[in-house]
Amino acid sequence: MTLKRINTVIVKEWREAFKGGKTFWIGTVALPLVLLGVSFFPFLYAGDLRGISTEETKELFEKVSMLFLTPLLFFLMFPMVIPHSIAIYAIMSEKEQKSLEPLLATPLRTDELFLAKTLASVLPALAITWIAFGLFLAVMQFLLPSTVLELAWQQFGSIWLMTLLLFAPLAATFMTLASMAIATRVSDLRTAQLLSSFAMLPILMSAFFLIFQNLLDKPALLGGLCAALLVLDIALLGLNVKLFRREEILTRWR
Amino acid sequence: MIIAENLTRRFGDRLAVENLSVEIAEGEVFGFLGPNGAGKTTTVRMLAGLLAPTAGRAVVAGVDVCAEPQRVRSLVGILTEHPGLYEKLSAWHNLKFYADLHDLPNAEAQIEKYLNLLGLWERRFEPVGTFSKGMKQKLAIARALLHEPKVLFLDEPTSGLDPESAKTVRDFIAQLASEKRTIFLCTHNLYEAEQLCTRIGLIKQRLIKVGSPQQLKRELYGRQIVVDLKEPITLSEDLRLPFVRDVQADGRRLLVQLDDPEAQNPLLIKRLVELGAQIQFVREHDRSLEEVYLDLIAEEKA
Ligand SMILES: Nc1ncnc2c1ncn2[C@@H]1O[C@H](COP(=O)(O)OP(=O)(O)OP(=O)(O)O)[C@@H](O)[C@H]1O
Ligand SMILES: [Mg+2]
Repeated sequence: MTLKRINTVIVKEWREAFKGGKTFWIGTVALPLVLLGVSFFPFLYAGDLRGISTEETKELFEKVSMLFLTPLLFFLMFPMVIPHSIAIYAIMSEKEQKSLEPLLATPLRTDELFLAKTLASVLPALAITWIAFGLFLAVMQFLLPSTVLELAWQQFGSIWLMTLLLFAPLAATFMTLASMAIATRVSDLRTAQLLSSFAMLPILMSAFFLIFQNLLDKPALLGGLCAALLVLDIALLGLNVKLFRREEILTRWR
Repeated sequence: MIIAENLTRRFGDRLAVENLSVEIAEGEVFGFLGPNGAGKTTTVRMLAGLLAPTAGRAVVAGVDVCAEPQRVRSLVGILTEHPGLYEKLSAWHNLKFYADLHDLPNAEAQIEKYLNLLGLWERRFEPVGTFSKGMKQKLAIARALLHEPKVLFLDEPTSGLDPESAKTVRDFIAQLASEKRTIFLCTHNLYEAEQLCTRIGLIKQRLIKVGSPQQLKRELYGRQIVVDLKEPITLSEDLRLPFVRDVQADGRRLLVQLDDPEAQNPLLIKRLVELGAQIQFVREHDRSLEEVYLDLIAEEKA
């Protein structure tokens, strides 16, 4: 395997995606931005909170702490929604353009191709999730007194970190691998999108369930979801390794 | 440059290519003809290190296709049946991508060279989706040549092109051949095969025949001389010289089958003159490759 070839394919993938029109921009940039913006609204109603006393802050936090769960919802969503559009596109566009045969006629190895396509989808998903979280923190810093933020960090810090550092990579990998596997087998873009949405649903539902049941202050539950994702990821990896054999790509991807 | 021994490929129960053996020398333009589904593309895919043969072996550019397919792929160029370009990317980015996959040190110079040669330099920054079919085909040819392969596989390079573009591509292929490259050319265009190829292989699952266009014609029809006369003559036993294989009269035209016209024509003409024939023209009957092709395929079916 050479890094140069993997890198070449990733860059090509992104260059193509950037020119990919509405679907790409809505799925990867517009949607996360809008969702992130929405998550700020509740805090805006909190009004100017700077300068309130510590006692009042504690009282206030008791009341608003649930508000911090809404943005979390979105940070659980981003790593799944973004690969959904990139990964499907990465496979479907090669199939539609019949570019796989000339591509495989180069010294490119199929494991390099697989790795490049996976990274091309997982990396931006993580980057956008993390940047969105950075934005979220920055805006909170601006809207809320630091004491409130400190209290929030005490209560939700471990969940946030777990979401960003554990759930996000596992979920992004899951959606990427699932979408790619589906895209190799389906000849129509809409069907692929529909099927991969079905794959996303159980994970998202579990995550939302955890939140609405107010269970997220028990990190073990999210840990359990991550463990389940890890098992799924490994299974999907095995499946994709089979699907990405040269023979398979040339004769059975439709 | 290309050696295939009993190359065989199955898809499930279907036998696509069976026991194909052929040797192609450096600098040859080898034409590969056969009806749809005959196994041409499958053969190219095996020889270019894309698909593994079910049985048999092949050595291309000195490398075993089964043992080191990746090295074969880095040494050969292939124009696939479909151009398969990235429509949203510019011509330049399409080529740059492939140059990088081949890890070319002089990528930009190579890209410029071939875009210029194929007349696409001016439009290098436009998305390929806006190109005409002929331009896409030329770009795909440029892509196959970037790494200066010694062996080139061209799968129907002029299919679907207008006569002018087709001629440009054919002239370009002739130029490549003159640079000592070995070219394996799949085509349905028999005129093209006759113009460009040093040898022709006819395939229908199995390799039916191999030879130069001339050899194939002679093998099938022998050599036939056409004699145009001023007045018809009656065919008599006197014309049956020992070396004449067959004679047919068709009005004022005689069709004479000979083995060695260079030596036998003078004797034939002498005898005709003795018989009082008034000869206007004598020439060899040139069959088109199309006739050869159709006859051989018909023979195979029977
Ligand atoms: N991926 C595949 N799966 C199953 N069968 C295949 C596959 N590829 C080719 N075949 C079969 O192998 C045979 C040879 O096909 P191939 O594409 O090599 O023919 P061809 O000579 O290139 O035809 P054409 O002139 O139409 O391009 C056909 O019967 C075809 O159906
Ligand atoms: Mg073909």
